[in-house]
Amino acid sequence: MLASLMKKCGWPILLLSILPAVSCFAGARHFGFIYEAPTSAPGSFEFENWVTWARTTNPEHSDQVAFRHEIEIGVTDHLQASIYLADWFYQNDPAHSGSTYSDSALELIYNLTNPVTDPIGLSIYQEYKGGDRLFEWESKLIAQRNFGPLILAYNATLEALWEGKGLTERAGEFQQAVGVSYEIAPQLSAGVELLHEFVFPEWRDEETIRNVFVGPNVSYRHRNWFVTVSALVQATDTPDEADFQLRMIFGIGL
Amino acid sequence: MKRLRKFSRAPITLGLSIFAVLAAALFISCESTGYYTPPVVTSKMARTRSGQSVDLATLQNGRTLFAHRCIECHTLPPVWHYRVEDWPPIVNSMAHRASLKPAEREAIIAYIRAVRSLH
Repeated sequence: MLASLMKKCGWPILLLSILPAVSCFAGARHFGFIYEAPTSAPGSFEFENWVTWARTTNPEHSDQVAFRHEIEIGVTDHLQASIYLADWFYQNDPAHSGSTYSDSALELIYNLTNPVTDPIGLSIYQEYKGGDRLFEWESKLIAQRNFGPLILAYNATLEALWEGKGLTERAGEFQQAVGVSYEIAPQLSAGVELLHEFVFPEWRDEETIRNVFVGPNVSYRHRNWFVTVSALVQATDTPDEADFQLRMIFGIGL
Repeated sequence: MKRLRKFSRAPITLGLSIFAVLAAALFISCESTGYYTPPVVTSKMARTRSGQSVDLATLQNGRTLFAHRCIECHTLPPVWHYRVEDWPPIVNSMAHRASLKPAEREAIIAYIRAVRSLH
């Protein structure tokens, strides 16, 4: 029975048994949809929960609430690793209603330069995601510059997705994201973020879908926890894309 | 990435305009932010700390830790933002969150004191 339990829940149990012994905060996020260049301090552990509500009305009304449970680990001064224990979502539309496990993933971020002491802070990001009839590979360049209490961040992301039976359905996406966050007080910041997506179904450029999302963000941090909320509306008019997305990230040092 | 979606083309002028302005601000407006950037360690900083032996390597380490660890949670305050005597409790209060060992805390405090001793 114990062997069966470990087989099913081995990773979470192992991580949760290790975490209380190290107990440090990995860092706060200022943006909901944009990554920042600094990586977590070595030896730090953090548990993050993401909730993203997306509402689509074109061509038909549907709501999706997606959840992510993530452990973030500072490995060295420049390397950070994250494990997405589970990505799952609740979907409600005319054809279907219910919750579904989506995937789990491994994410690595390596910091190259500092956004305060160097002309520009840079990090590179790599993620591998696997799930039920799903494999995804994602690379990202993260750029950031701090001007005193102002943070400017830019992400360029390339994603490749294989899904379906035999992983025969393919898609690609290039995304640019830019955001600004102003620190009103050491614990509170607010700003704006913008996403510009180019989706390539079956990797065919002639069918490129272009989407733009823009909206505000606010972040609050206190002691060993933080919460960040971003709300984005679609500035384009693409069918089957969310008209509105609201994301909340809650992180706590373990 | 979202699952596969239907084909469409959408106007992107607004998004591109906003994006261009913000991206330009990010990459072009790298003008001096000297007030906020932690000063580079010089041999003069070590010399001015009369009565205590702080080597340049410690001060350099202090600057690096100050610039790297603090910005994981918040933007970096200028070293003259608080009084010199206020810095040690500030650093100590956040040392656990920043995963700072005692020697690393001392290096940051030594760096801030050294910078402040010049002004």
